[in-house]
Amino acid sequence: MEEQMAKIDLSNISHTYNPLDPKPTYALNPFSMTWENGKRYAILGPSGCGKTTMLNIVSGLVRPSKGEILFDETPVTDLKTEDRNIAQVFQFPVIYNTMTVYDNLAFPLRCREFTKEKIEERVKAVSDTLNLSSFLNSPARKLTADQKQLISLGRGLVREDVAAVLMDEPLTVIDPDLKFRLRRNLKEINEQYKTTLVYVTHDQNEAMTFAENIIVMDQGEIVQVGLPKDLFEKPKTTFVGYFIGSPAMNIFHSTVSSDHEVKINDTTIKTNSNLGNLKDKNVKLGIRSEFIELAEKEKSNTVKIKLIRVEDFGNFKLLTGKMGDLVIKSKVEREKPIPDGELNLYFPPEKCCVYSDEKLV
Amino acid sequence: MSKLYTFLKYFFITFWTVFVVAPFLWAVSTSFKDFQSVNSKVTYIPWLDFEPTLEGWRVLIKSPAKGGVDIVEPYFNSIFVTCTASLISIVLGTLAAYALSRFTFKAGFVRNNDITFFFISQRIMPPIVLSIPFFIFLSTIGLLDSLLGLVVVYIVLLMPIAVWIMVDFFNRVPKELDETALIDGCNPYQAFYKVVLPNSIPGLIVAGMFCIIFGWIDFFFAFILTFTEVQLLPVKVVALNSSITPWWSLSASALVSVAPLIIVAFIVERYLSKGNLSGALK
Repeated sequence: MEEQMAKIDLSNISHTYNPLDPKPTYALNPFSMTWENGKRYAILGPSGCGKTTMLNIVSGLVRPSKGEILFDETPVTDLKTEDRNIAQVFQFPVIYNTMTVYDNLAFPLRCREFTKEKIEERVKAVSDTLNLSSFLNSPARKLTADQKQLISLGRGLVREDVAAVLMDEPLTVIDPDLKFRLRRNLKEINEQYKTTLVYVTHDQNEAMTFAENIIVMDQGEIVQVGLPKDLFEKPKTTFVGYFIGSPAMNIFHSTVSSDHEVKINDTTIKTNSNLGNLKDKNVKLGIRSEFIELAEKEKSNTVKIKLIRVEDFGNFKLLTGKMGDLVIKSKVEREKPIPDGELNLYFPPEKCCVYSDEKLV
Repeated sequence: MSKLYTFLKYFFITFWTVFVVAPFLWAVSTSFKDFQSVNSKVTYIPWLDFEPTLEGWRVLIKSPAKGGVDIVEPYFNSIFVTCTASLISIVLGTLAAYALSRFTFKAGFVRNNDITFFFISQRIMPPIVLSIPFFIFLSTIGLLDSLLGLVVVYIVLLMPIAVWIMVDFFNRVPKELDETALIDGCNPYQAFYKVVLPNSIPGLIVAGMFCIIFGWIDFFFAFILTFTEVQLLPVKVVALNSSITPWWSLSASALVSVAPLIIVAFIVERYLSKGNLSGALK
């Protein structure tokens, strides 16, 4: 196997689509990032946050307004797409209608003048992985939408020497069963061939189950890069807290009352954060509904709530309660008996995150 | 209600079919008549109403020396001019349309849409406006009354059609298709002729069909820009008319004139109904 996979460096990249404007709006604000060779990355964020722009910059379809891209320390910013050795799969299947499935899969290899034997071997391997073997000789346009997307995916995976495979929400059109299997296949391909995979999605579950590293983006800004566990337990901003996890993180307006304590309404909550240096005493307290526990009686770090709703999700129950105006959600085990009316919820101090100006303290 | 609808539907279809087909049948019938059968009384059915004769058809291939009109040479002239001009228009028009669809052009206030409109505006203008400039242009470069001159003029007339149809077609071919080809390792030219062009065959066929139709039926420029050396079919057909209108040979020449278009229409219809018009996406 040819060793061409690369570490990808994005250095001080920023991009605007209207550079001539006196006040251009930036689709991507300046950032730097390194994608290590052979890892799986997910770029997660709401629609229009700059995810696709980032991919297009790496593949060369878009030239960044500022900054530099390096593959293994070699600058490629001015290199054309066809010379970059990147594979990219789009959200909707893009197939060559006039060719057979085999020719579609072989196309990237033929463009790069691989030998016939090599092409045959790779197409066979990829079509086996993607369950396309029995369609190889049919015209690609006759296939269903999800099979077409498999072809797009296959064209991305057929070259084993690519620097990275970039995927822009590739599984949107594929049915859930196959989606699950394909994600596992992609993981296997990554583990076997050490191909760098970058996966854009707005679905947090997809990102969490697929990637080793998750890049959360919002409004052209990279908000947090980290392991799924970090994003879940210690979101760096309230946006990440809202965006990741279901239900979203509980976030309350509160005021700092001492070096380690905040006040929500009149209840004092102890946290592990050091709040002594904060100038602005108005902060936000965030805690995952998963970490809030039912308490038998009132003690320190408990809040008293009025229960308004209990939803049974099968594997857990979701309690919704009110403390004054504040709505609190808590996930509890299914078997736990829930008392009616008022109850006490315990906030473990190590799980409480304090946000000043929307950023984690 | 639905019965009435069905009735109206079939009534309309029947009416329309008669409306379209009747002139053809009339021409077919008339082309086999002689002077007597046309002018004495109303006749329709051969052998019953009148005795059919091939005289109307024979005149078309007889040389003028023997009292014929010989439309064979104008026929091939027309085929040559139409096909050459259509082919060149399609090649140039497709390249122009691809550029207009995929790249952004700026020159002062001129943008892509303005350039596309400039092409179409050639067709919006009444042809008479162009006739004098064309006449002077062709006589200056010495191509008046020649096949080459006509080809040049017809390219000017047909290329806007090709550009117009192909811009619209390329705009509907997703740009992700080109981008995928680039990612797969094609350079922009390879992406165009290996991927985009094969996907655009239905568009090319439609554009080609329109070019052939508009080239084939043009009378105006063929009439103005030729005299004695070169004649195209429409001009020759009109020239058939004399003090006594020869309805039989006029009908026969009308039938042979539309025959190529009918053949083109059938081929195109077959091709388009295969469902190849669907795009590459989804």
